[in-house]
Amino acid sequence: MKKILGVALGILTAIGGFLDIGDLVTNAVVGSRFGLSLAWVVVVGVVGICLFAQMSGKVAAVSGRATFEIIRERLGARAAGANLGASFLINLLTLTAEVGGIALALQLASSVEPRLWIPVAGLAVWLVIWRTRFSIMENVTGLVGLTLIVFAVALFLLGPDWSTLADQALHPRVSAQEGLASYWYYAIALFGAAMTPYEVFFFSSGAVEERWTIKDLSQSRLNVLVGFPFGGVLSVAIAACAAVVFLPKGVEVSSLSQIVLPVALAGGKLALAVVIVGIVAATFGAALETSLSSGYTLAQFMGWSWGKFRRPARAARFHLTMIICLVVAVGVLMTSVNPIAVTEYSVVFSAVALPLTYLPILVVANDPEYMGEHVNGRLTNAFALVYLVIIVVASVAAIPLMIVTGAGS
Amino acid sequence: MSDLPQDRRPPGLMLDARLHLLDRQILDVDGTPVCTVDDLELHGLDGSDRPDGTQPTVVTSLLSGAVLTTRIFGGRPPPSRWHRIRWTHVSDVGTTLRLGVRSAELDVTWPERWIRDQIIRRIPGGSHDPG
Repeated sequence: MKKILGVALGILTAIGGFLDIGDLVTNAVVGSRFGLSLAWVVVVGVVGICLFAQMSGKVAAVSGRATFEIIRERLGARAAGANLGASFLINLLTLTAEVGGIALALQLASSVEPRLWIPVAGLAVWLVIWRTRFSIMENVTGLVGLTLIVFAVALFLLGPDWSTLADQALHPRVSAQEGLASYWYYAIALFGAAMTPYEVFFFSSGAVEERWTIKDLSQSRLNVLVGFPFGGVLSVAIAACAAVVFLPKGVEVSSLSQIVLPVALAGGKLALAVVIVGIVAATFGAALETSLSSGYTLAQFMGWSWGKFRRPARAARFHLTMIICLVVAVGVLMTSVNPIAVTEYSVVFSAVALPLTYLPILVVANDPEYMGEHVNGRLTNAFALVYLVIIVVASVAAIPLMIVTGAGS
Repeated sequence: MSDLPQDRRPPGLMLDARLHLLDRQILDVDGTPVCTVDDLELHGLDGSDRPDGTQPTVVTSLLSGAVLTTRIFGGRPPPSRWHRIRWTHVSDVGTTLRLGVRSAELDVTWPERWIRDQIIRRIPGGSHDPG
């Protein structure tokens, strides 16, 4: 019985923890502009994150080494240093977006200016990192984040024309006013949102934090393979809600209040309250993960002592890094920059940085010195190579498309 | 590429300094991360500290700290600024390097101790296990 509960908890946490501000914003924007014609990208992204999250978890469980230590060992100081620079900055951008997302969600609940909420949100994130145990932190935000299922419920309550939605999803067409460049630009953004690199840093370091062994791998495989696809279903539900409410009217989503509007229309005040709780939990959880990832990447590159399983005094530079990153994120947000805009850039730059993270993992997952008999099988490698091509194409195409489309506008 | 001291090398195992030593994680005797091998100090067996490749050389120290910047951007910091971990402290070379001493006894971890004592310990809760 206890085992079943453990499995259920793991899966539920994976579902609730899948969504972050990048998924929320990108899916809603895409839904309002392209309907479900980009739903296939979510499928591609979810399969990819399942594949690589599972691989990085396996590397961490077998070798006891987290991703960035391995990146440094494999790529050497110079290439890994460049990789660190890019990954760290993009992670900081994502952290900024998540903290802004918490503040926007709290603004929806309270009508208090977001700039008053931003320092509170930053402080709360730091307090949890400083004082809470890793497993509690993960499970609470994951489980509360499950309330985002309300997007799926709202879709049913809205009573959409299912055949239209299915037609959009199964026969993707680009409408005349959008153009092919914007379509592919948002495809890359959606892919970047689903596969954000911080998830891999966090997943592999988390496996070390929780001292996974090979025995824990079947549990983690189940969490990932069941939890993430359900998280992907929620992503599509968000896009579908926006497609039903905004697409016919030609309204483009540009604020968090618009993202939750379909839920409020369908379920009234109660549903609105639930969705706000869900968004706070999802962004808060992701803010924790990105702050930790900033500490993980730098500490692992430099070889410092790291980890939440150590008291802060035993991992001083790791904790100081996270404090500085949170201060920077709060500082950037206090300049009144729009968190939604920060989010849109963060997902595209995530797509640009994908090969930096995923290629070294694939190399090490095939290295018997680290993996012994647990090196990747042929099937996994075949899938991973296909994804490597997709990842590189998306990465190379992202910046030119951003310039051509004026960042999608 | 240098030869390693004979007594540190199990029969049949060849170590490539670039592949097996540089950029590897160093753990202390308790398994706590100390630093990464940012560079190596080599000495010729005839006592020269800048071996030119004609004489046999040994790794005398693992270096960390400021040498990372010069390894990435080029140049060479003055030897007085090097933080050394003596090769005699190394007890095992695998996917990580294990030391036979505690990290608190090493000069190379002074920034960790300084940040711990000046900043992290002074914030309430910094010395406690997370709840």
